Amino acid sequence: MKSLAWLRSTVNSLLRRSRVEIEMDEEIRIHIENRADDLVKSGMPRAEAERQARIEFGSRERFKEECREERGGFWLETLYSDLKFGLRMLRRSPGFTAVAVLTLALGIGANTAIFSYVNTWLIKPLPYPEADRLMVMLSHDTKKGWTSKDVTSTADFLDYQQQNTSFEQLACWTSWDFNLTSDGPPDRVEGGLVSWNFFQALGVKPILGRAFLPGEAQPGSSHVAILSRGLWQNRFAADPNIIGRSVRLQGEVYTVVGILPADFHFPLMGAANIWSPIALDDKQRADRNSSWLQAFGRLKPGVTREQAGAEIATIAARLQKLYPQTNTNLTSLLSPMTDEIGKNEGAEQVMIDFWIVGLVLLIACANVANLMLARATGRSKEFAVRGALGASRARIIRQLLTESLLLFSAGGAVGALFAACGVRWVENAIPERIRGYLVNYGRADLDVTTFVYTFGIALFCGTIFGLVPAFESWGLDITHALKEAGGRVSGGYRAARTLRLFVASEIGLAVVVLISTALLVESLAHMVYEGLGFQSQNVMVTQLVIPPNKYSSPSEVRNFYDEALTRIRALPEVISAGASEYIPFGDSNEVEHVHVVGRPPAEPRQEQGAQYTAVTLDYFSTMQIPLLRGRLIELRDGPGAPNAAVINETLAREQFPNEDPIGQQIEIPLQHRVWTIVGVVQDVKQFTLSDEPEPQLYASAAQFPSAYMSIVSRTARRAPEVTAAIRDAI
Amino acid sequence: MTEQAQVLPGTLDLLILKAVSLGPLHGYGVLLRIEQISGRALLIEQGALYPALFRLVRQGFLKASWGTSDNNRRAKFYELTLAGRKRLQIEAHEWNRLATAIAAVLGARPEEV
Repeated sequence: MKSLAWLRSTVNSLLRRSRVEIEMDEEIRIHIENRADDLVKSGMPRAEAERQARIEFGSRERFKEECREERGGFWLETLYSDLKFGLRMLRRSPGFTAVAVLTLALGIGANTAIFSYVNTWLIKPLPYPEADRLMVMLSHDTKKGWTSKDVTSTADFLDYQQQNTSFEQLACWTSWDFNLTSDGPPDRVEGGLVSWNFFQALGVKPILGRAFLPGEAQPGSSHVAILSRGLWQNRFAADPNIIGRSVRLQGEVYTVVGILPADFHFPLMGAANIWSPIALDDKQRADRNSSWLQAFGRLKPGVTREQAGAEIATIAARLQKLYPQTNTNLTSLLSPMTDEIGKNEGAEQVMIDFWIVGLVLLIACANVANLMLARATGRSKEFAVRGALGASRARIIRQLLTESLLLFSAGGAVGALFAACGVRWVENAIPERIRGYLVNYGRADLDVTTFVYTFGIALFCGTIFGLVPAFESWGLDITHALKEAGGRVSGGYRAARTLRLFVASEIGLAVVVLISTALLVESLAHMVYEGLGFQSQNVMVTQLVIPPNKYSSPSEVRNFYDEALTRIRALPEVISAGASEYIPFGDSNEVEHVHVVGRPPAEPRQEQGAQYTAVTLDYFSTMQIPLLRGRLIELRDGPGAPNAAVINETLAREQFPNEDPIGQQIEIPLQHRVWTIVGVVQDVKQFTLSDEPEPQLYASAAQFPSAYMSIVSRTARRAPEVTAAIRDAI
Repeated sequence: MTEQAQVLPGTLDLLILKAVSLGPLHGYGVLLRIEQISGRALLIEQGALYPALFRLVRQGFLKASWGTSDNNRRAKFYELTLAGRKRLQIEAHEWNRLATAIAAVLGARPEEV
């Protein structure tokens, strides 16, 4: 049978190679002898007959080579011998090998590292079933042109929920910090308030217990909580009876009804560990003013994003007509959740890095190809001899290719090591606080895909750039090459041209990379050094939420913070301390519509907003925010005194472009609060380093105490032990 | 003497199979026999012979074994396998068909077109 014979021949060839070689030699010898005999019979002298027979036969070596090719198992043999030879060649010139492998390792390693992030953040789907059908609702003001994630007011959300036909589930949520006081030391745990169908919309099933029920969205039934698996294991020691257990949140009793799987992660919410349903009374349900909810939905099967987007826009238009006071120019857009998470992660920047690093790899490959070319030119004699011995061109090219692939694979292997270190380094550099917003907590797994990619590009580049020296040896004149004095590297016209081509393109690419990198670094430096507006070194931030049932009246809250600040200020290392409801780069903020008293009221939805916070004495001095005009909040701005407010430059510029703001009155109409402006301070960066500062209003915490404050304490130098001291003081 | 024709590539295998079908032969013998039967009209290039023999062995049409030749030398003898015999039949048939067709084309007279 044909294939059996083929197999037998192959195995034969592989296993008994030397014997087969001997046999072949034997056979040739016999053939030539037979021919010689015949010639002798026809009268030729013996010696001449033998010579004649040999000449007739032709090149024995070339012919043996052809036979070998026919025999089968050939390519495997040649691969093996090519590898052995290639290794020997590389070992013989360790300098070249080291430089080439290192160059490639850097190029390939950088690519692998960036690719692992591209893979984890952009390519891999989110860990929910059919995650590409999850759409985030963004609000968009058609007149002012902004788009924001903080979509809806309660009433708007409920309308969308009831009137839509495109979504299986429409859910909403907001970040919330919980004060967990039972089962351990008091802790502020980050989490979220969610609509009852939040987990159902994501498609996540708790591993213990259940998700929320519709009934739990009512006030009175809403003191239930779902915990993350991590919290369950760390705080509750993986108590098997956790379901039904009571915990104390915000000073009140909540019942645990579910535990989520270990790999659950909702990056838009950050690192969340506790979830509780949003419970609204009728008044809150009807509120259309405050936009504090973020919403997303799961598309029904068969519904496209465009269809759903059109429907949402229609509903928004309807709401605009019905409620012009609150909804004018307000519409909603849909964006895939993957994209929104990607924006948080800086997906764009990662892609830019990807291309830059790709260019770097090109440079590295060109470099190595150059080196290989130089070496190949020096080996022209070797190729000539091989050709004379019967090696076909294809054979020589295969040999060179194998050598090149060896080099590139070694580079790939070392590169993978570099990449692993690089990725670890990047991970460690990501601040703890923002890890929750990154897919997989900022870890880029070096998984199978990454390794396939690594070796893929190693082999791909190795093949392409390895063919360069191979084709250089294409037009080889054997006798010319053999005649050259040994060891002299000629180049030949074509080789020199290729060399010049490489050098030119490398320089070009390097320039591109340098310029792009310089631009990126410059913009980063610009952002970081432009100035935050305050001095952030050596400032400790302590975030507190006071449980409402313990300190319910405003004066109790005020006294608590006064007391706390006094104690903290008394600590030896603390230079100054103050508190603010919301701090720059904090987790939350409050925006209110402001209006200067005495001016005509603004059109619906044309109101101007400002960031609002209440600050205690010494906040500005602790943060070292310079005063520009007037005065800061002082002791006299206490309860009973006229409401005093300090505004920042941007607010002053926006509202009082041509006049002195000091003495003017500003109000938040919805809260019916009026302040007299007493001072103007410098702008402070609020959320990101690159955004423009927003208008800011600072009220006095003595006059408007808040249970939720962040205490800032400035110390002489970095003193982590102060944290414990502050905690005790409180 | 008659002009010696070049062996068309691809027909070498056919000739070898036929030569060997008349009795086991070593490599040189195959050469001689083809020359002989064709009345010295066909000359095999010596370098092409052995690769073709190895190829036919690999394909399973020939079987090789060492033995003694008639002048008392050790030689590798090739003989036809069952598959080889079948192959010979098919190839010969194909060749004849081809030859007839070509002859028909070449013998066409202007009136017949």
